[in-house]
Amino acid sequence: MSILALIIEDDEDLASIFAEALRGVGFEVEHVTDGRLAEARLKNGPPPFLILLDMHLPHVSGGDILANIIKKEEHLAKTMVILTTADARMGETYGEMADFVMIKPISFVQLRDLTSRLKPKEE
Amino acid sequence: MRSRIDQILSVPTSDPDEARRGRLLNILLLGELVSALLGLIAVIVYVTNSGKSSIDAEIQILLGGIVIFTLGIFGIYQVNRRLSSRVAALLFLLLLTFIFVFTDSTEELVNGRSLFLFTLPIAIASLILAPPASFLFAAISSLIVAWLAASIGLAPNVFVISGFFMLALVSWLSARSLEQALQELRMINANLDHVVIERTQALSESLERERTEAGRNQAILNSIADGVIVFDRKWNATLANPAIKGMLEVPLELIVNKNFSELIEHPRLQPTSRRLLYAIMEHDTQPVGFRIEWAGKTLSVSAAQVYNNRSENIGTVIVFRDFTREAEVEKLKSTFVAIVSHELRTPLSAILGYAEMFNEAVYGPMNEKQVNMADRIMKNTQRLLGLINDLLDQAQMEAGKLTIKMAPVRPAELLENLHSLMDKTASDKGLRLTSDIDDNLPEALNGDAARLQQVLVNLVNNAVKFTDQGSIHVGLFFSAPKKWGIRVSDTGHGIPESELPYIFDTFRQVEGTATRVHGGFGLGLSIVKQLVSLMNGEIKVQSKTDMGTTFIINLPMIVSESTKKDWTLS
Repeated sequence: MSILALIIEDDEDLASIFAEALRGVGFEVEHVTDGRLAEARLKNGPPPFLILLDMHLPHVSGGDILANIIKKEEHLAKTMVILTTADARMGETYGEMADFVMIKPISFVQLRDLTSRLKPKEE
Repeated sequence: MRSRIDQILSVPTSDPDEARRGRLLNILLLGELVSALLGLIAVIVYVTNSGKSSIDAEIQILLGGIVIFTLGIFGIYQVNRRLSSRVAALLFLLLLTFIFVFTDSTEELVNGRSLFLFTLPIAIASLILAPPASFLFAAISSLIVAWLAASIGLAPNVFVISGFFMLALVSWLSARSLEQALQELRMINANLDHVVIERTQALSESLERERTEAGRNQAILNSIADGVIVFDRKWNATLANPAIKGMLEVPLELIVNKNFSELIEHPRLQPTSRRLLYAIMEHDTQPVGFRIEWAGKTLSVSAAQVYNNRSENIGTVIVFRDFTREAEVEKLKSTFVAIVSHELRTPLSAILGYAEMFNEAVYGPMNEKQVNMADRIMKNTQRLLGLINDLLDQAQMEAGKLTIKMAPVRPAELLENLHSLMDKTASDKGLRLTSDIDDNLPEALNGDAARLQQVLVNLVNNAVKFTDQGSIHVGLFFSAPKKWGIRVSDTGHGIPESELPYIFDTFRQVEGTATRVHGGFGLGLSIVKQLVSLMNGEIKVQSKTDMGTTFIINLPMIVSESTKKDWTLS
């Protein structure tokens, strides 16, 4: 059974690097490019195991999406959230709400190693 | 009338003694004139009442005497006014003495009722001629009395003559002491005048100085571009300069002699700014500075209380400066920084990620040259990212936007992270990175983990850059009381002593720009120093050429209570 990871990132290049790292570990990867689409996807689709959430997004900010995940979306209670941001301050502000914070530039290897550890071992 | 009499009686002279004597003589002359006229009237009344058709020879002589006496008085008066009061006095006294000889019978003059007449010139002489002159007239009177006595066959009356001289002595003494007293009085007056003149001059000089000072202050106030309003203790504006008028676009009449609250209630002032200005009024806060928005302008406001020399508060001075342009530039700068931060770092992150993917052979095996090239792309990109981060930090610090956020920090974790970040950098250059932690250091401290990490990374990066062989050692130490610190030492080429004072300067490296062999903006140490002072700490450097360099940072220690919290990421 494949394990789903959702990348919410407006930069196509970064998204494709993250996707490659996650796929390398064995995740099935879905990608949305803005805040509004991300909210719609989180409401309706199957809950992902992991969300890679950028803080700077068009329409709805990563911070708002994170707050929604925690407050409203009960079906996402078990989903892990990794915040990605270039702003260390923002990382500190939202750090308590997320499972992990990664400060950009995010190393391909670091992301691959971290997610590899998080991914449940297949039987 | 009074001034007319004064004019008649006065004598034109600059000598005050002469004037006094002349005036006294004139008064006597006036008295004599009046008595002569009364005598004349009495004679006329007598002649009219006697009913005689012809006038007696005696009466004729009397009338003649009165006329001569009157003319004499008039002549003396003229001498007194025009020539000399002393000569006039002498003439008057001689005339008086001469007249007395004919006022009574010789017997009465020598031994009887009219003898006293001769004492008059003696007493008067000391007053109107000169104090010793009483002796002269005592002598003259004595001679006359002796001569008259001889003319009727009598011996001179020795008692009378010695009485004349006694009187002369008394007159002389009293006139002399009067003159001395007057002289002293004049001297005192002169001194007093002198003092008054001096005081007046000093007063006028100090008034002049005050006027000059006030004028200068007014000129300064008028010429400065900042708007200034001076308030009294009750916040009524007592003074405002022309600049404030242009700045607030409000006529001075609406500011001066009005209470500050009227200006604060002006509709052009934004509500938040209004609250700030009310706060100064209510709290009488000591020198404060903040910004307000007034009709689209940004004004920086600083207020300071004014004290007199008895340390009593006598009011407040508020200075307004047009800060609109600076505020715009600041806003532009922070927007620019945000854009650069995002727009430069995002593509660099992508380059770094793709290079890493090559390096990790994500799309199949790569030959050695390709891996090497990917490695170089990564290194250069990281360097570029480092430089951008330094520039952004510097820009933020200059804008005062970089703040320190205190949270629990585990010193051990700082070193773990440092090793994970810098081990490779050091080993790539053949250097060893070692570290130790003081056992006395608490497990968790309050601090800004990200900024402490940045300080460590910058110092180690710097050490790696300037060390060709050997090792770099990082130590975290405890220093009593309530201090802790970071020590970073290397075995590099050291810093020449002459350069030590400048190593924390922005954009500075020890080598000149043309000869530099080490990359970078020269911002690393400057950022470290600024971060350390933001954390209320201090940094020192010890170094000698070819003996390595040691940076020592001392920081205030705030022990964190939440030591049990798990801070590890994974």
